[in-house]
Amino acid sequence: MSEQTTQYKPSITIADQQAAAGKGAREFMMDVRTTDLEVNMGPQHPATHGVMRILIRADGELVTGAQPHLGYLHRCAEKIGENVEWLQYLPYTDRYDYLSSMNNNLGYSLAVEKLLGIEIPRRASMIRTICVELNRIASHLVAFGTYGLDLGAFTPFLYCFREREWLLMLFEKICGARLTYSYLRIGGVFNDAPPGWLEEVEQFCDVFDEKWVEYRDLLMMNHIFIKRTADIGVITPEQALDFGLTGPMLRGSGIDWDLRRDMPYMLYDEIWKAGVYQIPLGSGAQGVLGDCWDRVYVRVQEMVESIKIVRWCLANIEPGPTIAELPKVLRVPPGEAYVGIENPRGELGHYLVSDGGKVAVRCRVRGPSFCNLPILEDIMPHTFLADSVAIIGSTDVVIGETDR
Amino acid sequence: MDLRKQQIAFYTALLFGALAAMGWGLKTAGIQGAMFGFFASFTLGGGLMCIWERSVVRSAFSLMATFCGVAGLFILLGHDFLAMAQILIYVGGILVLILFGVMLTPPDLNERQLPRVGLGVVAVVGALAFVGAKVAAVVNWAQAETLPPAETKAEQIGAAFLRADGYVIAFELAAVLLTVALVAAVYIARRKPSDLIDLTEEGGY
Amino acid sequence: MSMILIWLLITVACYGAVIGTAALMTFAERKVSAAMQYRYGPNRVGPFGLLQPLADGVKFIFKEEVIPAGANPWIFKLAPILTALPAMLAIAVIPFTGVIGTFEGTEVLGSIANPEIGILYVLAVTGVGVYGAILGGWASNSKYSLLGGLRASAQMVSYELSLILAVLAVVATTGSLNLHEIVAGQSGWFGWNVFSQPLAFVLFLVCSYAETNRHPFDFAECEPELVGGFHTEYSSMKFAMFFIGEYTAMVVMACLTTTLFFGGYLVPFWADAPWWMGLIAFGAKTSFFLLLFIWVRWTLPRFRYDQLMHLGWKVLFPLALINIFVTGLVISFGPGAN
Repeated sequence: MSEQTTQYKPSITIADQQAAAGKGAREFMMDVRTTDLEVNMGPQHPATHGVMRILIRADGELVTGAQPHLGYLHRCAEKIGENVEWLQYLPYTDRYDYLSSMNNNLGYSLAVEKLLGIEIPRRASMIRTICVELNRIASHLVAFGTYGLDLGAFTPFLYCFREREWLLMLFEKICGARLTYSYLRIGGVFNDAPPGWLEEVEQFCDVFDEKWVEYRDLLMMNHIFIKRTADIGVITPEQALDFGLTGPMLRGSGIDWDLRRDMPYMLYDEIWKAGVYQIPLGSGAQGVLGDCWDRVYVRVQEMVESIKIVRWCLANIEPGPTIAELPKVLRVPPGEAYVGIENPRGELGHYLVSDGGKVAVRCRVRGPSFCNLPILEDIMPHTFLADSVAIIGSTDVVIGETDR
Repeated sequence: MDLRKQQIAFYTALLFGALAAMGWGLKTAGIQGAMFGFFASFTLGGGLMCIWERSVVRSAFSLMATFCGVAGLFILLGHDFLAMAQILIYVGGILVLILFGVMLTPPDLNERQLPRVGLGVVAVVGALAFVGAKVAAVVNWAQAETLPPAETKAEQIGAAFLRADGYVIAFELAAVLLTVALVAAVYIARRKPSDLIDLTEEGGY
Repeated sequence: MSMILIWLLITVACYGAVIGTAALMTFAERKVSAAMQYRYGPNRVGPFGLLQPLADGVKFIFKEEVIPAGANPWIFKLAPILTALPAMLAIAVIPFTGVIGTFEGTEVLGSIANPEIGILYVLAVTGVGVYGAILGGWASNSKYSLLGGLRASAQMVSYELSLILAVLAVVATTGSLNLHEIVAGQSGWFGWNVFSQPLAFVLFLVCSYAETNRHPFDFAECEPELVGGFHTEYSSMKFAMFFIGEYTAMVVMACLTTTLFFGGYLVPFWADAPWWMGLIAFGAKTSFFLLLFIWVRWTLPRFRYDQLMHLGWKVLFPLALINIFVTGLVISFGPGAN
């Protein structure tokens, strides 16, 4: 073992060479050996979504080792949560996973509401569901579009952003912000939807149903795309469970687990029982079960399922209050609560402990990207350098959330 | 003498050698002679650089000058087909493969720590050039009155290769030899399963 | 004396046209891609943003030149030249139009030079273009660049083979290496080589994309993996030089496709068209292939490196061999054989 592995130690540094030369040692390689390159992907690199750094060891084109490094975007979100008031922390949740801020708001709000033990008005839940699902689409559009970009397909990215732009405009209309919404508040939503907003959402759903087919045919069913992603970065179902993956990463490996159905919150139980949506699963349609293609296709299908949920909400929404009556200074009864919600990237859990004061005693976040990341180390070796980009893209990590 | 001065000395010598060759050519055979000197010094200079340079990549790269020089000599002889074939095959193909192989091997400076004769080589070359020039001035070389037919068409070359009274046997033998070499290279270069070590176990990665 | 003047004029015109087209291509690329992607593209500099290439050029000139520490300065400086030079050399033999006129008893042709071995010259010269990528990648002292250079070299060498074999089939049908004669051999109804050599055309087209490092084969510089590939470390005019080389190579390849397979400067259904008509026909055909370059780039995802090699060696190369074999059979025993 040691005899052989010494050959593959990181490439000789100049200092080593000079030391060897100083000793007068002359070594001849008996075998033509190629050097291992240590390629630093990130923190500033076009392939990494955000400031992620992955140290890749490559033997020519073959990746022999990969190690993700974290912490370039650490902002002490959890510690801040233990120092600011309950409501004041809400805007910080926007910043973990900035592509799905609505979901983050929802996760935190639900956890606090569980501690408070309050009932949310039904209209508020409806609007929440609409916003969260639209945000899921917006997030998946980025994931899908940038994945195309990673594989060199530029145009689908901009098509995705065209639809995302509409979504962002919708969000802007309802809450005034395009990225960090802070719209879903503890007890409901900040304000009611402006007049005409729900109709515009309806329009969006109609358009998106057509466009979705376009995306699928343009990129997902592209021959080159399939060749690049099928059989690459395979995560077996066992592996997926071992690493505690959640979200599309887990479902891409064919494991039927979706918190919206299995640990329901808000109205999702009712929606599921109404038979509105399905949970798309990876099937290995183009290759092995759990490959990159499966993961990406799960996301693409989820967008349509989200549209179905939005449509159901639009059909069943009724007038009423949109926020529960709460005191100005929130004092949360003592206790602890954990609420996990289905973020676009997997399970976003908030664990909150209160001692009855204005500030949380403990605020812990279980981020899906963070928990989905370590598997890179396992699936990246023995692939090609180009595959590593495909694999990183298919995990769809948002670094804001891995580091928090 | 440090490395930098050695380099300067070597390249200066090379430059003067080239100039001398061109001047000699100009004196003996006019502009064509000068061109001959130019290309010949390219050919020889590339070869010398190949031996001189420590970096393997630079050595390989210097061969480009050699190949281009040979192509130039072909053009002087009126064989533009051969010249282009020379560039196409040697510069565009073989040298790229050499560079490809060289770049993948580790940069090991020890490999080239051969005792350098440095100035010695320059002195010997200079002396030889001097003697050569003297001899050339005295001896009256026989110059070919007619060059080989200048317009060798691609057609004629092709026919010579494939006709029974031409070089067909040599041509076919070369083909067989190359195929054998190719198969052997693939066999040698093929990675055996035992060579693949599971690098994930190595720690750190 | 005036013959030299005419020759100079033609030279300046040809080089001006091709390099001008290359500069316009950078503009067209951005404009066409913008049209494909619901964007506007450059529209600030000059009418419709037409002066954008000029603005880019000025910007390139005024940028700081950085030579990374540990780089091999001589080879680092030489590499951009070695990229741009071969592409420009190749322009010399491309027939832009037929006989322009007779001057002092000599026919003035629509190309700078007209050697007997024209196509071989183009192939030889474009083959040298790979050195810019290899040496630039190696001399930069950067791992991304090195990998980019390695990829470029392997890719170009393997695709050049299929490219040459595809061209060889055309040469065999025409019976000449001279580009003007190849064009002249394509006259008449359905005389274009694309009809007699469809497979060779497809092979040539695919290989020309790989040869010019163009999408979907642009591994040497694919930004998700290798940042900028072999030109990661280049800045200022050296970077611009790589750019010019790449775009000129594209223009040359488009010209070559037109010449070899689409009748070059021949105007369809007009046998004795004047030379300027031929020039327009040539320009139109070439423009189409240039547009195709852009079109493909903004539509398809990129192949993986090993898939490219598989495609090159296991699909295109055997196909090219079969093609040339069948061509030989048809020439020897087909209807026109003597």
